[in-house]
Amino acid sequence: MAKVLVVDDALFMRKMLSDILKKEGIEICGEAENGKDAINKYQELKPDLVTMDIVMPRVEEIDGIVAVREIIKIDPQAKIIMVSAMGQHSLVVEAIQAGAKDFVTKPFQPSRVVEAINRVLGG
Amino acid sequence: MVQDSYRELFFSESQEYLTIINKCLLRIETNSGDFEAINEIFRCIHTLKGMSATMGYDKLTQLSHHAEDLLDELRGKRKKVTPEIIDVLFGSVDILERLIDAAKAKKESAVDIVGYVDKIKKIIAQKGEVLVAAPAPKTKGLEFSEAEAAWIKELKAAGLNIIKIRITLVKDCAMKEARAFLLLTNLKMMGEFIKSIPPVEDLKDGNFDLSFVFILAVKENIQAFHNKLSGVAEVEEVFIEPVEIGENVPGAAQPQTTPSYIKKIQSMRITVDRLDKIMNLMGELAIAKIRLVQIVQSLKIKELEEVSFTLEHLTSTLQDEIIQTRLLPAAYILDTFPRMARDLAKKQGKDIDLEILGSEIELDRVVLDDIGDPLVHLIRNAIDHGIEDPEERKKTGKATQGKILIKVSRQKGQIFIEVIDDGRGVNFDEVKRIAIKKGMIIEKETSVLDEKRILDLIAKPGFSTAGKVTDISGRGVGLDVVKTKIEMLGGRLDFETKRGSGSRFILTIPLTLAIIKAMLVRVKNEIFAVPLMNIRETIKIDEDEIKALQSFEVTRVRDEIIPIIRLEKSMGLENPVLDKGLHNERKSVVIIEHGKKALGLVVSQVLGEQDVVVKPLSSIIKKTKGIAGATVLGDGRVALILDTISLV
Repeated sequence: MAKVLVVDDALFMRKMLSDILKKEGIEICGEAENGKDAINKYQELKPDLVTMDIVMPRVEEIDGIVAVREIIKIDPQAKIIMVSAMGQHSLVVEAIQAGAKDFVTKPFQPSRVVEAINRVLGG
Repeated sequence: MVQDSYRELFFSESQEYLTIINKCLLRIETNSGDFEAINEIFRCIHTLKGMSATMGYDKLTQLSHHAEDLLDELRGKRKKVTPEIIDVLFGSVDILERLIDAAKAKKESAVDIVGYVDKIKKIIAQKGEVLVAAPAPKTKGLEFSEAEAAWIKELKAAGLNIIKIRITLVKDCAMKEARAFLLLTNLKMMGEFIKSIPPVEDLKDGNFDLSFVFILAVKENIQAFHNKLSGVAEVEEVFIEPVEIGENVPGAAQPQTTPSYIKKIQSMRITVDRLDKIMNLMGELAIAKIRLVQIVQSLKIKELEEVSFTLEHLTSTLQDEIIQTRLLPAAYILDTFPRMARDLAKKQGKDIDLEILGSEIELDRVVLDDIGDPLVHLIRNAIDHGIEDPEERKKTGKATQGKILIKVSRQKGQIFIEVIDDGRGVNFDEVKRIAIKKGMIIEKETSVLDEKRILDLIAKPGFSTAGKVTDISGRGVGLDVVKTKIEMLGGRLDFETKRGSGSRFILTIPLTLAIIKAMLVRVKNEIFAVPLMNIRETIKIDEDEIKALQSFEVTRVRDEIIPIIRLEKSMGLENPVLDKGLHNERKSVVIIEHGKKALGLVVSQVLGEQDVVVKPLSSIIKKTKGIAGATVLGDGRVALILDTISLV
């Protein structure tokens, strides 16, 4: 079973995303609420995939995109899917350049989230 | 998929975001270069938008979307922070708040967002000093430059296939520019990227309809490539034009990851209900403990005494910890005040700086809920009546900017909240004049008016020194409401003022309401608890020191004449036959005070101080004058807690 680390500063979003994934039989191995936390948890939990909120508070200069960069540095094979509300395409582009594998937009369509995760895991 | 469990989360979190936004807006109002604050607002609005969209709250989503656009301009330094922008953002936040409230009440909100959406759009559309990049010319057709042609030749010679991929995105594709970029990034990993139509820059900016073309040199054959691309999210159609057919290349091996089962949770949310239940159980436990300790003391078994001592220590530690969990920093309510003060001051053409000290001090959640309104009222009073117009301040030699200070401090089991302004202070003569006019006092009394009496007067229902009723403080709720509310919490309101240099209101409130310090007294066979906070002193008097004065009895304490109540009488415990002969006993009197007034309670015996756990009473008993609640004592007996305020 695939293990996913959910990163979002809003508990609301973490819960909703986790619920969607759990329904698909995907295990949520951890949650992080900022980029720094995400990097630490990534090393600790070694998840198969990370969903990363793109706009998060900077903790020690680490926001969502910096976290992507750092995680890719640690594990070039890391699979990260960005989660973003509509409109911040330049940030998404930046995240893809940093090594994110895909992105999904809020509000979530569960099918699209699951599709993206399965595809990234499969590829 | 929206469930009630999400609703609750949504409302609590969205409120937190609004508070942060307001706080940061105030920061950028004083320092327009505070990009940290701008980023913070941007983040909060963005998150709020995502959450709202997920909940299906359209208006919230739309307005926050536009506000986010505006903030993006600010943080991208394409626009400068202007007072106009700040006002629009403040206004938008207010509307967001109202929309959230309406959603909470499960009502369709009548709030109109169009006005603010238009305002935001207008600001964004304003050119001003903003540089707008001219859209890049679109390249059409498949033409290769000489350099490209040479490169293609080279790649072909190396055995690669040159293919042309036309990708069409689905119509409702979210963020097509990012999607296109993602596809481009993926394709670059699969082969040698030659060019795209339109050019990459246009793709990134979204300068295309729904389809675009990539030219790529790849090793795989077209079919394999087609399989890879179809099934990508939000792609409607992939069309690959064959140029040459090469060999199949096996796919990359899957990376291995080691499983891990370590999970760590640093913090979690607990519903208030559950906390209340835990607190209640803690109370029961504390009572059982007291009982056990009493029994153990009478048995005198050494081992048992040791265990009970440990148990006593553990329960009181546990009790402290549980009280801690119920505490929240005062910032939860105080943080909204600077914004309110700003708005009110602006409306009246006053310049006011609101400073908060000690907002990190923690209070019981229930107390916090209840002191919000009283504090709002005190601040409104300060702005409305206290702080003068800039002109007037100048004339009296003060700084034109008025100052309001909210100071929170903690001493022992009590919290002090002071609301201090440097305004004109309360005009005693004016208060006297109105009080006489309204028949609250007679002329003779006015000579002895001190601050305490003045506070009593201005805190009387129906008293208002404001010449005209304003939008701000003339809402029919006056200081009387503030006073009553604070007293209901077992606290008190004090007041100091100095003509010309300001006023200070001091709220003293208990740290928690669930466990209070009380004096236990016996009246006949019943035990009552008197909240320690309201007790001035306890004295002993002889029966003949009690004098009848008209319809009530009084006694003299030093120079003061204090009315007394015989609790056995007022609680219906007297028995004229059995009580005969007891009248000559020395009596214990507990003197309670409330404001300026004092009252002596005659009791049979004063038992001592104790922490008691307050249990609310059913509604029938609640209405009984003089009783605030009940508690269970160590021996299992129930003691009523006296409501000293209503007695005085």
